Amino acid sequence: MERWINKRPSRAVSGMLGLIPLIILLLLYMAGSEARLAENPADKLLPSFEQFSQAIERMAFEPSKRTGEYLFWVDTQSSLIRLGLGVGIASLLGLVVGVLTGALPVVRALFNPLLTVVSLIPPLAILPILFIVLGLGELSKVVLITIGVMPFIARDIQRRTQEIPSEQIIKAQTLGANTSQILLRIILPQIMPRLIDATRLSLGAAWLFLIAAEAIVSTDGLGYRIFLVRRYLAMDVILPYVAWITLLAFLSDWVLAKISYLCFPWDRLDGAER
Amino acid sequence: MIEIDRVWKSYGDNTVLEDISLTVKEGEFVTMVGASGCGKSTFLNLLLGTQTVSRGELRLDGKPIVAEPGPDRGIVFQQYSVFPHMTVLDNVMAAPALAQKGITGHLFGAARASAKREAEAMLERVGLVASAQQYPSSLSGGMRQRLAIAQALTAKPRILLLDEPFGALDPGIRNDMHVLLRDLWRSLGLTVFMVTHDLKEGFSLGSRLWVFDKRRHDPHAPNAYGAQVTYDLPLSKMSEESYMQTLQGLGSSSLLN
Amino acid sequence: MKRLLALVLTMVLSPSVMARDSFQICWSIYVGWMPWAYADQQGIVDKWAKKYGIEIDVVQINDYVESINQYTAGQFDACTMTNMDALTIPAAGGVDSTALIVGDYSNGNDGIVLKGTSNLADIKGQSVNLVELSVSHYLLARALETVGMSEADVQVVNTSDADMVAVYSTDDVSAVVTWNPLLSEIAAMPDSHVVYDSASTPGEIIDMLVINTETLAEYPALGKALVGAWYETMALMSGNDAAAVEARTFLGEASGTDLEGYEAQLASTQMFYTPAEALALTESKVVLETMEKVAEFSFDHGLLGDGAPDAGFIGIETPAGTFGSSANVKLRFDPTYMKMAAEGQL
Repeated sequence: MERWINKRPSRAVSGMLGLIPLIILLLLYMAGSEARLAENPADKLLPSFEQFSQAIERMAFEPSKRTGEYLFWVDTQSSLIRLGLGVGIASLLGLVVGVLTGALPVVRALFNPLLTVVSLIPPLAILPILFIVLGLGELSKVVLITIGVMPFIARDIQRRTQEIPSEQIIKAQTLGANTSQILLRIILPQIMPRLIDATRLSLGAAWLFLIAAEAIVSTDGLGYRIFLVRRYLAMDVILPYVAWITLLAFLSDWVLAKISYLCFPWDRLDGAER
Repeated sequence: MIEIDRVWKSYGDNTVLEDISLTVKEGEFVTMVGASGCGKSTFLNLLLGTQTVSRGELRLDGKPIVAEPGPDRGIVFQQYSVFPHMTVLDNVMAAPALAQKGITGHLFGAARASAKREAEAMLERVGLVASAQQYPSSLSGGMRQRLAIAQALTAKPRILLLDEPFGALDPGIRNDMHVLLRDLWRSLGLTVFMVTHDLKEGFSLGSRLWVFDKRRHDPHAPNAYGAQVTYDLPLSKMSEESYMQTLQGLGSSSLLN
Repeated sequence: MKRLLALVLTMVLSPSVMARDSFQICWSIYVGWMPWAYADQQGIVDKWAKKYGIEIDVVQINDYVESINQYTAGQFDACTMTNMDALTIPAAGGVDSTALIVGDYSNGNDGIVLKGTSNLADIKGQSVNLVELSVSHYLLARALETVGMSEADVQVVNTSDADMVAVYSTDDVSAVVTWNPLLSEIAAMPDSHVVYDSASTPGEIIDMLVINTETLAEYPALGKALVGAWYETMALMSGNDAAAVEARTFLGEASGTDLEGYEAQLASTQMFYTPAEALALTESKVVLETMEKVAEFSFDHGLLGDGAPDAGFIGIETPAGTFGSSANVKLRFDPTYMKMAAEGQL
């Protein structure tokens, strides 16, 4: 075992190795922050951890002086509702479109060109149109997220549907199944874990569209707050918000993975045949 | 019961099956052998309804076979024959559930209870009772094929089509499966068509053996002529000795590899 | 180890502490700052830099707020910005900054537009779309005062300036506060009325070139070169001779419009083409009083930071006097260099 390519760290060592870059980054940040604050105590670019905790305290645990709201939680709630609605609707539409176009060649021939075109439209470019058609409220933000991630989910589900072995579809027919029974009992249940996978993969893009929509016109939300306080370089607020968004993104991914694991036990067994 | 009347199958210039005419009676067990690419699987697909004849006619009880898979013909493939998202019991119960008219393909109430009793009896018969609540991915290959057969038979087809069903199994398991299959065939009075590449299996299992091969060869256009059934042997009356002779004769003719 | 890290980071993240002769300034597209494009392109900045034995790199940054953030972080020695942003971003961030050149004030370039009414008081209860915490927000606050209202009487909706025109054309939006060229575009839409504009608050929204105070003290040559280049450019582009028209045509095209469009913007901008005009405002009481209002607005909106106990936490020094804490002066209106230009000493 001389060559590097053959060396494998043990579990414990592996965990420690993974921490090293994080610790180095943290130390670099702390040193940089300390150096800048020593030079200029009012520096806003690299706040200290104390400043972070003060900012979090102020945003999350003290009512705002102007509105009496707990801004951090109000922002979180608004953003999560938008994200949940947008991603939920996109998943549902993507599932319906993907399964129907994947399973029924006639529907595929009818809608595939449209789906391809829609998936190529850059969603942010049509945002002004969304504003004019749907107004500036919640609807246009939710629709932006939906338009942004639905084509990806639909195309992924379409491919997954086509990947279901044709043997199963033939088998179902020899058992007397009609088309709707095949869709609902054979294809749909097998596609559900794939839908969760596709949704997990599209969450990153969904956050991007959410923050973009909130930056453009909004009165609350995580993206709104970041772009607002950016106006006076309040990194002590921005960085905790970024960390919080990262945590929320991680948690939503984890929850979806857990749901998939618990709800689809047949999918987690590593069988040779599927 | 089944009449094969001057059947041809070709894809463009590529002729796969050529002018086949045969009759099969109810209760026969036809095993089909031949070199790979000889058209035996294509023939099975014609019976199944996933492919259509180019010329001629396939008749079941005097009526042309519907060119779409249906409940009168059951199928077991080499793999992917069962539904991975259903337990063993649900896989068997899927047969009555999908056979009823409806949108969702689910059974409720009394219909469900009787389907469950029937499915449990079938699992008893194929030796899968202990695994009733398991998913197919945790079954062995042999158990999975038992399940596929049980599922197909629960739909009570008139014809059972088998496409190399034991090709991926170990020899010991394969013998168990032969015993099971022969037992089911006899007791249920099924008509069975089975494609196999195992010559011994082909001879020992059925009541009738078909060998698919091309009678004519054109070296410059290898696809110009299709395969026919070159041997049609009744098996049940054959002695072990003549069976071995035939086997050796066929083997040395390099017809089958 | 930690010290070494700190040292390395200090060197990487803050401007070099060693003596130097090359500097960077940044500007963003706005009617009053466009002349920097001309000064850079025509080699006027280079000429003046050479005269004082230094190099000056003029960088255009497309995002206005980003340009100020970059300046505050120390990436640039000087940057164009308004008086309000100079207080709330670099000064509130502890970066001692000096208004080196007072270039113009908005004289109608910022305004409030209402749909279907020409009466400002009708704004009560409406949603108002604007860039929050910007001069638009300040102008709204000043306008509401004049009709005896406060911000609590309206609902402010933060809206990106890039999308302001598109947003205004939707039915949801009935009130916006914005600046030119967006303002004139929006005001030209049917049934739209400018109910209040910065002509009513002369000298309160000031466009300046802001320079790092320490850098200026250490390298007066930088201040002299920048001021010299600026007023040479001013002289070139004002007036009606062929050269001036050519300069304004260039500036119009560089800002994405044409000569006519640019001149329309100039009409609502009180440019100080000569240092004497700039000095007149800088040295007057108006700047002191304005900065007091701006500081109070900023304090009310939390822009001066959590540590600020009152609006005077950050000292603002003007020729007419100092507002707020004289121990914590972070924003200075320094007429020295403009005076030199006025007296022809550059």
